[in-house]
Amino acid sequence: MLFFLLRRLVFAGFLVFAVSSASLLLAELAPGDYVTGTLGFSATPEEMAALRARYGLDRPLAEQYVDWLARAARFDFGRSLANGRPVADLISEAAANTALLATTALVLATFIGLPLGVFSGARAGGVLPGMVRAASVFLLSMPPLLTSLFLVFLAARTGWFPIGGMSSIGPGGPGGNMESFEYVAIDLLRHMVVPVLALALPLSAMFERLQAQATAEVIAQPYVLATLARGVPRSRVVWRDALKAALRPVASIYGLVVGTLLSGSFAVEVITTWPGLGSLMLNALRARDVYLVAGCAAAGSIFLAAGTLVSDAALALVDPRARE
Amino acid sequence: MVASVRTEPQSFNWYTQHDGTTDVLTFLTQARLVRVNRVTQEIEPWLAERWTRADDGRSYTVKLRANVTFADGHPFSADDVLFSFAAAYDPKGGGPTIGGDVMAGGQPLRVSAPDPLTVVITFPVPFAPGLRLLDNLPILPKHKLEAALQAGTFADAWSLSTPVSEITGLGPFVLTDFRPGQRLVFSRNDRYFRKDSSGVPLPYLDRVVVDIVPDQNGQVLRLETGQADMMTSEARPEDYAALKRAADRGRVQLVDLGGALDADSFWINLKPGAFGADPRATWLQRDELRQAISFGVDRKAFADTVFLGAGVPVYGPVTPANRKWFSSAVPQTPYDPARAEALLAGIGLTDGNGDGMLEDARGVAARFSLTTQKGQTALERGAQVLRDELKKIGLAVDIVALEGNAAVARFVSGQGYEAAYFHIGMTDVDPALQTEYWLSAGGFHVWNLGQKTPATAWERQIDELMARQTAALDEGERKRTFDEVQKIFAEHLPVVHFAAPRIFMAASSRVMGLTPAVQRPQFLWSPDSLWVRP
Repeated sequence: MLFFLLRRLVFAGFLVFAVSSASLLLAELAPGDYVTGTLGFSATPEEMAALRARYGLDRPLAEQYVDWLARAARFDFGRSLANGRPVADLISEAAANTALLATTALVLATFIGLPLGVFSGARAGGVLPGMVRAASVFLLSMPPLLTSLFLVFLAARTGWFPIGGMSSIGPGGPGGNMESFEYVAIDLLRHMVVPVLALALPLSAMFERLQAQATAEVIAQPYVLATLARGVPRSRVVWRDALKAALRPVASIYGLVVGTLLSGSFAVEVITTWPGLGSLMLNALRARDVYLVAGCAAAGSIFLAAGTLVSDAALALVDPRARE
Repeated sequence: MVASVRTEPQSFNWYTQHDGTTDVLTFLTQARLVRVNRVTQEIEPWLAERWTRADDGRSYTVKLRANVTFADGHPFSADDVLFSFAAAYDPKGGGPTIGGDVMAGGQPLRVSAPDPLTVVITFPVPFAPGLRLLDNLPILPKHKLEAALQAGTFADAWSLSTPVSEITGLGPFVLTDFRPGQRLVFSRNDRYFRKDSSGVPLPYLDRVVVDIVPDQNGQVLRLETGQADMMTSEARPEDYAALKRAADRGRVQLVDLGGALDADSFWINLKPGAFGADPRATWLQRDELRQAISFGVDRKAFADTVFLGAGVPVYGPVTPANRKWFSSAVPQTPYDPARAEALLAGIGLTDGNGDGMLEDARGVAARFSLTTQKGQTALERGAQVLRDELKKIGLAVDIVALEGNAAVARFVSGQGYEAAYFHIGMTDVDPALQTEYWLSAGGFHVWNLGQKTPATAWERQIDELMARQTAALDEGERKRTFDEVQKIFAEHLPVVHFAAPRIFMAASSRVMGLTPAVQRPQFLWSPDSLWVRP
């Protein structure tokens, strides 16, 4: 098990290195740069050269890359060209926000999708399982972008929830810094409703479908039929024995789901103005802020690698064959 | 009051970063010696109480207001003015600062302070706009930034890492909170120097919150639902219907400011040798091609299609919104496809094979690529309309939509593009402050940037006229000279303009004291007189 985890950790490290390096190099190689975008026609060639020199963009690409790599190895990802703040600070703030959103959505989707999957998979017919299946198919066909647009529209029309952002201005004193902890927590939860639902609903539908199919297959196995024939209550068989056996398909895609969730959350973050990695990456790409682009890509790949690692570990626990 | 912007500021220092949000922040927190009133387009005393001009027309003695203090309580004096000029011209800035915006004839102004409340400003050359130039120079606190200037780190001063408590100014508000990616919060500056006509201290608002909303649909939605009080930039044509409905319900006030100050521009790369040995070089850079394109596009239909009915046809870089400098005497090219075809035939472009499209004498198709900016709806739609309109007169156009930075890189280098359709924003209405565009040596002379000597006789003529126009102190003479410049421009059409969008601004109906202007930031250029109904 230890060797298995070590192997996965090495792969995760390589993934982060490859993705962030590729992002930096591609952003550097694309025509135009931060300086042309910022100054446009308004600067002389000398001023442009001075600004490039200030940011180190005048050096050969290989030199820039090696320098960045050396600094990145010490967890120094440089400064954002656009606003001068350390990339590590910007990333950590945004990544925390994205992680909060993604984790909440994942937990919610798991708690909605898995029980509903077991419920609908354990019953071949019936109106209720049919309704669950129909709702799942509908939600699966809706990409997070459309779901978030619909939820934003709903929130705007009803006024039930804020339509964007992460916090309200607050009734406190100037600067809005005087809110109580309770106010901040409730305010944050209210702001999370729209983006979390936008991410969690399609995901829970996917979990429901996978779990339902796996549950139906497991229930049809001879050993489950034999257990039922011995008079063990159906609910106990389904929720205790069959559930564990049927978890393998969902566990195996959990890592991928984390990656999908992250890339899906980019669109949701932009629509709902959630200040996470998605919004940060979009702005960085628009501005050709190369170090920030590389930092965002590294953070995204760390999420993906961590998700894959957790998924592999979970799968190894559920199914020892996966360790081989 | 809650306003929304699309991006967060790139800095708290306008001297080193010129993005739109830093501009808004500067209007809220800083003040200038004189201010250009964006509605009347005339200058007004601001930190300067009054001034006199010497007989030579180049030297101004400016008296500063007494008893003015920065938001942190430090007194304002002529030393801060001298410091601000020094910072603007700082050669160690590590990049462009606003120095170029406060120069005349490419040279810095000379500034001295005979006493703490007097500043003498001398222009290096006769310069007609005079103190209007000072609207570009927010006065910075010497006591806060002198150390950075002396250490050669002014370019990094007041970056977004700086604690907001360090940021101070002479404007109506003080920055009290910045949450990256979310919002900026400004509180009333109780030490602000202005009072209204009744003697009530300004500003009226206690707090201004500027929310960062990257998506413009989100901005509109927030305004409609009362979660924001205004958008700091104009509404898009596609937002008009929703905002009109909100206005009809009494939630929003929708202001039609008429046509914009500038129109999207079409030009062909006129840099000598830009097309090398390409056989199309013989006709691509001819005046007649651009004239034919101007005649070949129905501007009314163009405006209706590109701006969804909310546009006005325009014929030159100076639009009717620039009331002082627009000239109705400048020739306007009507929609005349027959005339366009005749002009094209005159440079050897005819339909030799009868396929409806033109070729030159060697049979090379009359075809060129048009580079525009990806993601800008109006530009992309405009490029498509141009392609369709020009096809009717036999010209084939291939659209190349590039990401903004990549497009600008090509335009600035003068390489890698054949024709362009792009937005060029004018920063001031006075042509003497737009010489980078008009002069052949200018960095904004987009069709052939930074010429060492004028490439054509007509560009030389414009250079001479603009030199006269910039130096003349008589406003009538300046107007006549600039009319002449516009006529020459219209004759040779180095840049062709088709339509300008109508500017619609939207604010919550509870916001009062609005003085909307065509120039950005349309609402927040005068934030001290705004107030909100409870």
